[in-house]
Amino acid sequence: MRGFFASFLVVCPLMLPASAAETPRAVLPERHAAVLDKYCLECHDTATGKGGIDLESLPLDLGTIESAETWQKVLNTLNSGEMPPEKKPQPGFDEKAALLDDLSARLVTARKLLSDTGGEITMRRLNRREYENTIEELLGVEVDAKDLPADSGSDGFDTFGSSLFFSSDQFEQYIALARKALDAAIVTGPKPETKIVRIEAEEEANRRIRGIFRGYQKQGYVAWKRWQASKGKPTTDFGFPDDKEIEFRKLVWDRESPDFADYLSREETLTGAFLTVSNPNPQVGLAIPDEAPAGRYRVRARIGVNRAAKPDPSRTFVEIGFRGDDIEGAIDLIDCRKINAPMTNPEVIETEVALPPLSRPLTVDVGSQTKKKVTLGERVIAFRQRLPNNRDAARFLRYESVNETGFNTEPALWIDWVEWEGPLVETWPPASHEAIFFKGPEAGKTDAYAREILERFATRAFRTRTPDPEFLDSLMAFHQAETKAGKPFEEALKKPLSIVLSSPGFLYLKESGLGFSPNAEDELGQKSKTLTPAELAVRLSYFLWSAPPDEALLAAADKGTLDTPDGLERQVDRLLADERAAGFVSGFTHQWLHMERLDFFNYNHRLYPDFDDSVKMAARQEVYETILNLLRRNRPLAELLKSDTLVINDLLADYYGIEGVNGPRFREVKVPVDTPRGGLLGMAAILAMGSDGERSSPVERGAWVMRKLLHNPPPPAPPNVPQLSRHAGKLLPARELLQAHMEEAQCAQCHRKIDPIGYGLEHFNAVGLWRETEYTEIAANNRVRQSKEHPIDDSGTLPDGTKFDGFFELRDVVVSRHESFARGFVEHLIAYALGRPFGFTDQDLADAILEQGRKQGATPRAYLHALVQSEAFRRK
Amino acid sequence: MNTRRHFLRSSSALIALPMLESLGFRRFVSAASQTATPPKRMIFLGFGWGVTRESWYPDKSTVGTDYELPKGLAPLKRHQKDITVIQGLSNQFNNEAHWGSTFYLTGANRYAEPGQSFSNTISADQVAAEVFGRDTRFTSIQLGCENAEGSGHGPGLSLAWNRQGKPIAGLNHPVAAYHRLFADDGTPLEQRQAMLKDQRSILDTVLTDAKSVKRGLTKTDIDKLDEYYQSIRDIETRLSKEEQWLGVPKAKPKDPVEEPPSEVAGVEEVKIMYDLMLAALQADATRVLTYRQPVDSFIRGLGATITGHNMSHYQPGMRMEVSEMRDRKQSELLAGFIDKLKASKEPDGSSLFDHVSLSYGSNIQSIHYLDNCPTVITGGGTGVKHGRHLVMPDPKTPLCNLWLTLLKGSGVEVESHGDSTGTIDELWS
Repeated sequence: MRGFFASFLVVCPLMLPASAAETPRAVLPERHAAVLDKYCLECHDTATGKGGIDLESLPLDLGTIESAETWQKVLNTLNSGEMPPEKKPQPGFDEKAALLDDLSARLVTARKLLSDTGGEITMRRLNRREYENTIEELLGVEVDAKDLPADSGSDGFDTFGSSLFFSSDQFEQYIALARKALDAAIVTGPKPETKIVRIEAEEEANRRIRGIFRGYQKQGYVAWKRWQASKGKPTTDFGFPDDKEIEFRKLVWDRESPDFADYLSREETLTGAFLTVSNPNPQVGLAIPDEAPAGRYRVRARIGVNRAAKPDPSRTFVEIGFRGDDIEGAIDLIDCRKINAPMTNPEVIETEVALPPLSRPLTVDVGSQTKKKVTLGERVIAFRQRLPNNRDAARFLRYESVNETGFNTEPALWIDWVEWEGPLVETWPPASHEAIFFKGPEAGKTDAYAREILERFATRAFRTRTPDPEFLDSLMAFHQAETKAGKPFEEALKKPLSIVLSSPGFLYLKESGLGFSPNAEDELGQKSKTLTPAELAVRLSYFLWSAPPDEALLAAADKGTLDTPDGLERQVDRLLADERAAGFVSGFTHQWLHMERLDFFNYNHRLYPDFDDSVKMAARQEVYETILNLLRRNRPLAELLKSDTLVINDLLADYYGIEGVNGPRFREVKVPVDTPRGGLLGMAAILAMGSDGERSSPVERGAWVMRKLLHNPPPPAPPNVPQLSRHAGKLLPARELLQAHMEEAQCAQCHRKIDPIGYGLEHFNAVGLWRETEYTEIAANNRVRQSKEHPIDDSGTLPDGTKFDGFFELRDVVVSRHESFARGFVEHLIAYALGRPFGFTDQDLADAILEQGRKQGATPRAYLHALVQSEAFRRK
Repeated sequence: MNTRRHFLRSSSALIALPMLESLGFRRFVSAASQTATPPKRMIFLGFGWGVTRESWYPDKSTVGTDYELPKGLAPLKRHQKDITVIQGLSNQFNNEAHWGSTFYLTGANRYAEPGQSFSNTISADQVAAEVFGRDTRFTSIQLGCENAEGSGHGPGLSLAWNRQGKPIAGLNHPVAAYHRLFADDGTPLEQRQAMLKDQRSILDTVLTDAKSVKRGLTKTDIDKLDEYYQSIRDIETRLSKEEQWLGVPKAKPKDPVEEPPSEVAGVEEVKIMYDLMLAALQADATRVLTYRQPVDSFIRGLGATITGHNMSHYQPGMRMEVSEMRDRKQSELLAGFIDKLKASKEPDGSSLFDHVSLSYGSNIQSIHYLDNCPTVITGGGTGVKHGRHLVMPDPKTPLCNLWLTLLKGSGVEVESHGDSTGTIDELWS
């Protein structure tokens, strides 16, 4: 009897969700059977079963893998137009569209049902973001984990244990990464001296510019003159392979020399340097010498605006970044700063950079023209006027002006000097070093101390789990061997420490679920699944920080004050107030909103020169900062749909045409409600994601709105649907092109829902700027052959028939569906936090969190609290 | 000025190819396993985003030996009698239009495992490696590229997936490949033995910790941790092999092999990878190679300003031109690779080409089409009668039938692979 009861109790908590909310089933509505009967069964009945497909006995329930597979095949052949065969009767447009519509939706449901984990959480290893953060917390060193294999298995979050694999080379990569970090973290010797080195911009620039100018002159103009004067001597006599070459040199001279001569003739270049669009002075470089150790540095520049040139305000930004291999080419962008002061009284700007260790000799010979070696590469900080981060695009801009006026555009910025200061060292030895060598520099370097060091470090690395003595014995053996080999005490600990950082105890977030929860009513099922307080602390910190718990959180767990409603609430608030919460917001948001799309395409620099890397970076940041701001200020989630507050900086304000914002920091800016900005639908990043870099894509935008805002995702784009290219090469507006989707049932079934939503966003161009007309062109090699402006019709209809007349109405309709938006947000939050896909078994959990959150103002923070307080969050 | 005067140094010239006859270590191998005939080798090339369907496939009405190579394949003209173009192969389970490589060599069903939203199975190359990898320093070599998603390859770390259906990491840069295959750091034998011993102790140490982590885990978690164990086992296997090969220097070419430049990308990168593959085969460093090729950087190197994904959604106009240019350039590079395989002589006078099975294709046909996967095979290692254009009578013939055919043809005893339903016997007759 007791046995029966016990097993009932075990099963009971697992069954709860299913009993409350009905798990949906993936069953095709009966009415489609008639369509199949009429058009398919002639060949695909049980008796004939042509091609091995028997639709007569195929169940309408898609709930088994076999059934789902067969229906997938049916869907594919219908989509590709392969079936029914051409000579046979075809289903009508409406019945076919309806069948496809239901079938594709049911298949999505079936796939979800079949892949439902039933709430089970798979243990996971640290993903790349978490690995970087964890190493930084432990060692105070920034490591770059991009060499580790990519985390994303398929769709979902990078917190899903089931898709975080461990490949065969990965172990060695961890050993190497840990070693590199330890080399930087464990210090010996005296505190490095912090230096300040200033370079006058004219010294760096003029010699280089004059050198190139003379090169053009001597090897171009002068050589050409002498060849002309020689009256027919072969060009080889002058060191040129052929006539073409020497003519080309002359051409280059004619085109380049005016700008170079002009630059060098200006008085201002005697005491500083103008920053020009591409040549003659594309960048002022600040080379940090090879001897400088890696670490934090500060770089400064004294810069002013060349007011006499009346530059477009959007040009008065300076970009700072590591120079690549080419002085005219792309830089590894660090910062972009607005300059307000005039060049008669310049301002000093300052930014911090992380100087990487020197990885290769970077001094290269730039050629005979300068007779001098200059340094190019990763340790040169470049300052340049804000530009498309691409050599050819910058040149294109310059030549546009040269072709028109004979000269480059007037420079917008002038630099007096540049300087670096570093390495910036606060305490010596650094705190992270002292956390390892906890007894200080005077401690006796004994084996016993080494063992203590290893044990303490391993316990920290394993997030409070004490390492086995056996493990410590092995680690000690390495230390002793290293010591025997003559390595000093600290050095000899690096190897065993790197092994700790490559052990499963560090790399995997182990959750035993062996904690006892005082809230659990029964002692059987619940108890065995409840996280221990320390495990709860780890789950919480990796959720809200993507980083390990700090001492305060561990102390709360230890004292037993964490696992109470109050305790959890306090900790969540504390964690969200910490700057590490930005790691959660960016990591979660990037994946939730599919922001990887922003990197899928190159944005056409000719059409959209303003959407450069600095703006793209800021636009991405705007999304994160807006969500972080809502979280911190505890304001409703629905403000993400419409708001009179933007969270932007000076660069984005300039991009959006909003005045009065100064400084690179993101802050709240009030805007009138009738401007299109304010809410995700008005954000440049979101809109640019809905384009292919050249044209806006109502399809991508419409699908995104359905997926992310309306929580009504269309099925994935099916394979083998015939591509529509009938209109290719014609100057038609997007809306007209997409009408073709309505001609075939297999396209229309989804696109009739998707495209009209996208039409509502057509007043935004491919990079999210408002436009009154749609521009289309046919171009080749940057030359426009044909172009046309089209009026924009941004009215449309939602899948449920709701009509809207233009963007503002569309936005209001979306706002009215904010509960769907909240549900989507909460479902993604659950998946991210628990580290597994959101399943049908989670419906009750989502309902409870939504309900609880609504009572607390429907803010993101309220939903987070409700999730953390839920039983699911505290259970394995 | 730079544009015109840009000096494109042929970086591939830097890799001096090892001369077989001069390889001391080769004799060592032959002494161990005296084979009169040179060994079989298998190469699998995958190129992610599909081809330009309008100009890559031969006319379906011209089958057999009498067919024209269309524009996209035209650079292979000089090898026409040694290649076979096959139409009508596909992976029945794949519905992911951006995943050109994930299931390419496996034929797996993503949803085959209940309770999982992704699963995969062993890839054809790894089936071969289990047999062909026994006698070489490297069981198999996986080459790849940076930004594989942007090149349309889909999830995975290379074309290869192990017995457990887990991804196998690839060498994504020519420099990394070069180091793995040929670099010799000159460490004395004794020291290397000590290093191997040391590496073993490291593995033993982490396994001690794994044991304590394992305590109290659920079945699912133990399976997860097993990936860690598998990784350690793989390294152990490699170390044992390294130990066997300790006395044998890495293949020493007649002239020193130089390290490829680190900035190489696109067309040059593919060329160098082909040269490294050739060198690896000549040196018998491995007999099984896969290469997940770059597309995104490849077209950028050809002067395109669009991404690989942009190109894959081509329409008549600039994007289609880029797509066609890419098809041709890839065929040209493949033709060059075949030239070198043919020119490379084995000790018995035959050529390397005679003993190779090479396949070239993708799981994506074109745009979002996943049927009729582009497929070219070549090499004399499988007994396939080349020089023909084959259109499968069943347009949904499993791609795995081809893998099974190539495996069997190369002498791997295997009954089926993935969703195969049999071999493509027409290839042999």
